[in-house]
Amino acid sequence: MLGAEEFIEDTIEDLKQKITGKAIIACSGGVDSMVAAVLANKAVGDRLLAVYVDNGLMRKGETEEVRGMFKATGLNYDIVDASEEFYAALAGVEEPERKRKIIGEKFIRVFERKAKEFGAEFLVQGTIAPDWIESGDGVRDTIKSHHNVGGLPKDMGMTLVEPLRDLYKDEVRDIARMLGVVASERQPFPGPALAVRCLGEVTPENVAIVREACYIVEDEIRKAAAAGEMELPWQYFAVLLPSKSVGVQGDRRAYGRTIAIRAVSSIDGMTATYSKIPLQVLDRMSVRITNEMKDSVNRVVYDITNKPPATIEWERSPTVFTTKNSIVMP
Amino acid sequence: MKVYVVDNGSQWTHREWRVLRYLKVETKIVPNNTPFDDIKDADGLVLSGGAPGGACDASAMGNNGVYLDRAEVPILGVCAGMQFLCQHFGGELGPGTVPEFGPVELKVSGHEDLFKGLPDSFQVWASHNDEVKRIPEGFEVTASSSTCPHEAVRCLDRPIFGVQFHPEVENTEHGVEIFQNFLAIVESRRSRRDTRPRGRSF
Repeated sequence: MLGAEEFIEDTIEDLKQKITGKAIIACSGGVDSMVAAVLANKAVGDRLLAVYVDNGLMRKGETEEVRGMFKATGLNYDIVDASEEFYAALAGVEEPERKRKIIGEKFIRVFERKAKEFGAEFLVQGTIAPDWIESGDGVRDTIKSHHNVGGLPKDMGMTLVEPLRDLYKDEVRDIARMLGVVASERQPFPGPALAVRCLGEVTPENVAIVREACYIVEDEIRKAAAAGEMELPWQYFAVLLPSKSVGVQGDRRAYGRTIAIRAVSSIDGMTATYSKIPLQVLDRMSVRITNEMKDSVNRVVYDITNKPPATIEWERSPTVFTTKNSIVMP
Repeated sequence: MKVYVVDNGSQWTHREWRVLRYLKVETKIVPNNTPFDDIKDADGLVLSGGAPGGACDASAMGNNGVYLDRAEVPILGVCAGMQFLCQHFGGELGPGTVPEFGPVELKVSGHEDLFKGLPDSFQVWASHNDEVKRIPEGFEVTASSSTCPHEAVRCLDRPIFGVQFHPEVENTEHGVEIFQNFLAIVESRRSRRDTRPRGRSF
């Protein structure tokens, strides 16, 4: 990134000025929020609390991985198990717009509670440029509303601080490497997590299916990349489609769900090409998913569209939050 | 050198700002309803793309027409920015015969300015439903593709350029060089302006 060192210095100085009391940071453990957390921590030290919400929609082993990162980074942190709250609110909801508002609102309620306990007046977020660009505003179409703080209520008693608003993912990664943030190479993962990869109703059963399929996709692609069969894509995951199709298992007719695999190359997430995964790697993922998950999945497809015209994730992320943009040179 | 990005609502307006910033230009994004007097210190302008149908809907394009009429500095219109400027000077727009999303093979026919030093053919990325059907008088086509005859245009007597594709996105080959070529034109005009007696139009 151009002027990364200067950016780090200026941002820490700016955060010192802005955060006059205590702050919480909404932290998923991804590279954006971890970089924002580390910068804010450098600025205000123990006046910062990192809050990770386990909404029951995270990937396999993710909460423990994030706990490890928090410990290694030496941040004040709190891991909140809010899965029951999230699933209860999402029961019976299929319409993406409603899902999105519900998840966004649940997030903010948890953050409000934690802020109150900690006595924080400031909410720090790792929002980056594509988040607000794609969320739309007065002049820009909404492509997908990114979660960030989904549906920030007007009466939210916290001041929002977003130090990474003008950066793209590749720039955040450069800063992460410079700061030694362990999350620097983690693949992007949407804030509302597996809910956006679960088309249709978000139930614990559906999430369990997509979680396992995501795990298999990540595992096989990582192995293939380590073995030199392919380059590690920018992002790679599974999506659970809301339909069933007929199949044959051991001479029996069996209806099962369909998993779509998505893997893309990109620099900044604003344009992307689908990854040309070697056929033998696709084959291993397909066989493994349909065997290990034979009770639920009998068909696997690979998404071969670029962005544009498609987007990277299939389902939108929840948010309603955007601020009117007024971008000037930093 | 100051080059401002006029925001017509594109997903990639901020990318244009990033490319200019990386090329060490003093830049900022300005809403397209900014009065001309507030941006007349610019040495060049980039008119961004717009939300769908933007260029065909004059009300969505704010003061772009005023900038085109009053600014003497070089102007680069991207996507809806190019469509608007063509329409403004008498060209015609319409739905693309083949809408282009993603990779497009560009064929360059004019290497004098924006495409100086670049190959005759390379891959660019586009994202548009509409296109320029007829270019205005006093303009010429500098690049095309098999699916869009007007991928790039230039004005013959003013430093006004248009590209239908998006040089600001990572996937476009030679995108940064296209901006560098534009900035070289901005720079040469600026030095000419500085040495010229004040009060004359160029």
